[in-house]
Amino acid sequence: MMNVKELSTKLEYTVFALPDPAAQVVNGYTSDLLSDVMGNAAEDSVLITIQAHRNTIAVASLIGIKAIVLCNGRTPSPDMVVAAEQETVALLGTAENQFTTSYRIAAALGIS
Amino acid sequence: MLPAVLAMEAADKGIDMLALTDHNSGRNLPAFAEACEIVGITGIFGLEVTTLEEIHVLTLFETVREALEFGQWIESILPRVHNSARLFGNQFVCDLRGAIIEEADLFLYGPADITFDALIDQTLVHGGLAIPAHIDRPANSVTANLGFLPELPYSAVESIAMPPTVETLGYTVTQGSDAHYIEHIGRRRCFIESASDGFSGLRSALTAGTVSYLGF
Repeated sequence: MMNVKELSTKLEYTVFALPDPAAQVVNGYTSDLLSDVMGNAAEDSVLITIQAHRNTIAVASLIGIKAIVLCNGRTPSPDMVVAAEQETVALLGTAENQFTTSYRIAAALGIS
Repeated sequence: MLPAVLAMEAADKGIDMLALTDHNSGRNLPAFAEACEIVGITGIFGLEVTTLEEIHVLTLFETVREALEFGQWIESILPRVHNSARLFGNQFVCDLRGAIIEEADLFLYGPADITFDALIDQTLVHGGLAIPAHIDRPANSVTANLGFLPELPYSAVESIAMPPTVETLGYTVTQGSDAHYIEHIGRRRCFIESASDGFSGLRSALTAGTVSYLGF
């Protein structure tokens, strides 16, 4: 378990929104299909994806996902950042791809 | 956005033919059809379907009945998820006067249980026009989600930018407003040239490629 601020600092992510730095994440989910995220992701996860638009925040909020990491250097649309603040979802970014991001987050969270 | 206001706004802006394509539902089409008749524009009745690959496809029909039947089938293959009005907005169904007849409980934005290829096929089999939507968008477009435009018997492809910034393989290109708000109606439009009126005129113009755009 780790809070989103610690995760962001440890893995040197770009911070687009950090409305609740103390929010705890315990797991991760990697997917670029939002319907798959909606059906299968667990709450208190960090979502690893390239879907850099507002609907991703809505799905995250519905599931109880605490943080989103946008991969491959994708930047969020302005309305996505606003939605992240409103729905209290941390919005982070990295130049790394989904595979690398996934195993680095797994290691940081102590999941093997 | 009330179906009747949509038709009135289009008539005010000099639009002769307008399609209403709610996400994965045809429930607002009856009121829209009545309104089009009253204001004297040609209504095209459709849905913007989300496929399994989360690609948006415009499916257009000549009659409300055909579109409603197609819409009922699409709704029957949507994920059984309840809508959250707070996160995704209300899903109202209105009558001609704007009174709320019902609020759809089924989440209408999710993907229907049908692949992109099969949806194109089924739309055409049911007498509709199949048009991959906003193919130049970074999300929910065939180009973004598949990485390429497969060669299939599309009626046309829709592009936001004109000329298109992505490969269109010689398919007829349409431009639409994708209006989610009243002020967006008619912000993009295209002109068709055809010997016949109405839906058959639209079909033949798309087949012949006699479509032009503002500024081109």
